[in-house]
Amino acid sequence: MKTIIYKISLFFSALVLVACGGVPEEKSETAAEENAFSVEEVLEMVAKENDVTRTLYTKAIVGKGKAQGMKFDEDWRKDDVEAGPLPALFLRGVATSIIKSPVPLGLYLGSDFPVNAANKFEGKQADLFQEIKKTQEPQFFYDEDQKLHTAMFADLASAGACVSCHNKHPQTTKSDWKLGDVMGATTWQYPKDSLTYKETVAVLNAYAKGTVDIYMEYLDEIEAFKESEKPEIGNKWPAEGNYLPTAEVFLDSVKKLSSYETMKHLVAVK
Amino acid sequence: MFKVSPLRKRQVLGGVIGFVLGVVLFYIFTLEATEKYVSIGPMNTGHQDLSCFTCHADAKGNLLQQVQSNISHAVGARKTAVDFGTKDVTVDNCLECHDRANDRHPTYRFSEPRFKDAIKHIDATTCITCHSEHNSERVSVASINYCMNCHQDLVVENDPLDISHEQLIVAKEWFTCIQCHDFHGNHKYEVPEKLSDTIPMQFIQAYFKGGEDPYGTNKKYTALSQEAWLKTLEK
Repeated sequence: MKTIIYKISLFFSALVLVACGGVPEEKSETAAEENAFSVEEVLEMVAKENDVTRTLYTKAIVGKGKAQGMKFDEDWRKDDVEAGPLPALFLRGVATSIIKSPVPLGLYLGSDFPVNAANKFEGKQADLFQEIKKTQEPQFFYDEDQKLHTAMFADLASAGACVSCHNKHPQTTKSDWKLGDVMGATTWQYPKDSLTYKETVAVLNAYAKGTVDIYMEYLDEIEAFKESEKPEIGNKWPAEGNYLPTAEVFLDSVKKLSSYETMKHLVAVK
Repeated sequence: MFKVSPLRKRQVLGGVIGFVLGVVLFYIFTLEATEKYVSIGPMNTGHQDLSCFTCHADAKGNLLQQVQSNISHAVGARKTAVDFGTKDVTVDNCLECHDRANDRHPTYRFSEPRFKDAIKHIDATTCITCHSEHNSERVSVASINYCMNCHQDLVVENDPLDISHEQLIVAKEWFTCIQCHDFHGNHKYEVPEKLSDTIPMQFIQAYFKGGEDPYGTNKKYTALSQEAWLKTLEK
């Protein structure tokens, strides 16, 4: 009798437990979507977008802006400094936005002669950077400790402003940079070895959103200028006078410049 | 009719009382008014007015579903386990109120491979390494000489300090850093040029324990209150 009661209660407990069902699994875990790109391909795509964005910002905003009297400073966020972000800090801003997004992408900038000592490469990154300096080819490795696929891409002195600012900087550790030099490298990290189309587009969008976020922060900073002359923000660029493009115009130009390369990868027949 | 022994009657009565008591306690201790009795310790400085749900969001599904999912996971019938009761508190929870663009040492920066060795000594990728919650204090880090993990090669151009940064580093005076520099760089204040004018260590220790702010009250950024945080969720 006792055993029957126990068996019945056990059966009903199990029934109640099973009948209520489990917590639904995350969609991405259950979706049988096909992986379309290797992590290397995706990081190359986003690094290319980054090249275009940074070159455009460095040449068309910082370079031409300076000629118009606009200021760019490493302390641009300080309350008493009325200036915009230098290119390296623009990239840092993009990286910050990406890290806050749901996309598990990491972006960092470093060098063997950085202005800020905290950005000096060490260990594996330092070894691979020597290779990058020789070949300018991207380097890939899997970081066992962090369990992250990691890629490093050369960061070239693409504009006169890069060379002159770094050579003249009071804390510079190298003052003979020349145009075209490999001044540093961007490091990108992603946890998976291959990505679906959706994940790939999410990575590209996270980068684009990062660009808009930091650019908007710069425009907000200008809005708060008390003493400096504010450039007119609209469709025009600093090359035409004391103007700055809106975030939409800026991103639109990035897309125009990078879309061919990106699309070539996205629609490639395999 | 069955003949029930008095011993069995007591067992049944005990079971029923236990069940009813359990349900009542469960009900009482899940009320908002009794939150502080459930908490594992008093909240840290500045967090006193927060409700549990600010950090401890309900996990997905009901308790039975969570039990079933975790049993399934344990026997290999499900890929992932699920949170039980409440979701794990992560850095993202902290950043919903404390994130700011000009943080001098944001957690995410330390995810980069080059900080691999440094974070073995102090895991700066997560807030709770230094700010362990439910301790009624501000900072809970074991030792405040942590700057040595990254700043051994520091060079300060035109060093304004009477005893140079270089000398301090050679002498391994890593406890002095914090006497001028707050880790997150969130205070607007005049940094002294003489080491003797810096903030005395006992003031720093008292601040860590929840006392007065020795760097001053002029902050660059103020964290969101619970009300302000709730408003951000509505957007």
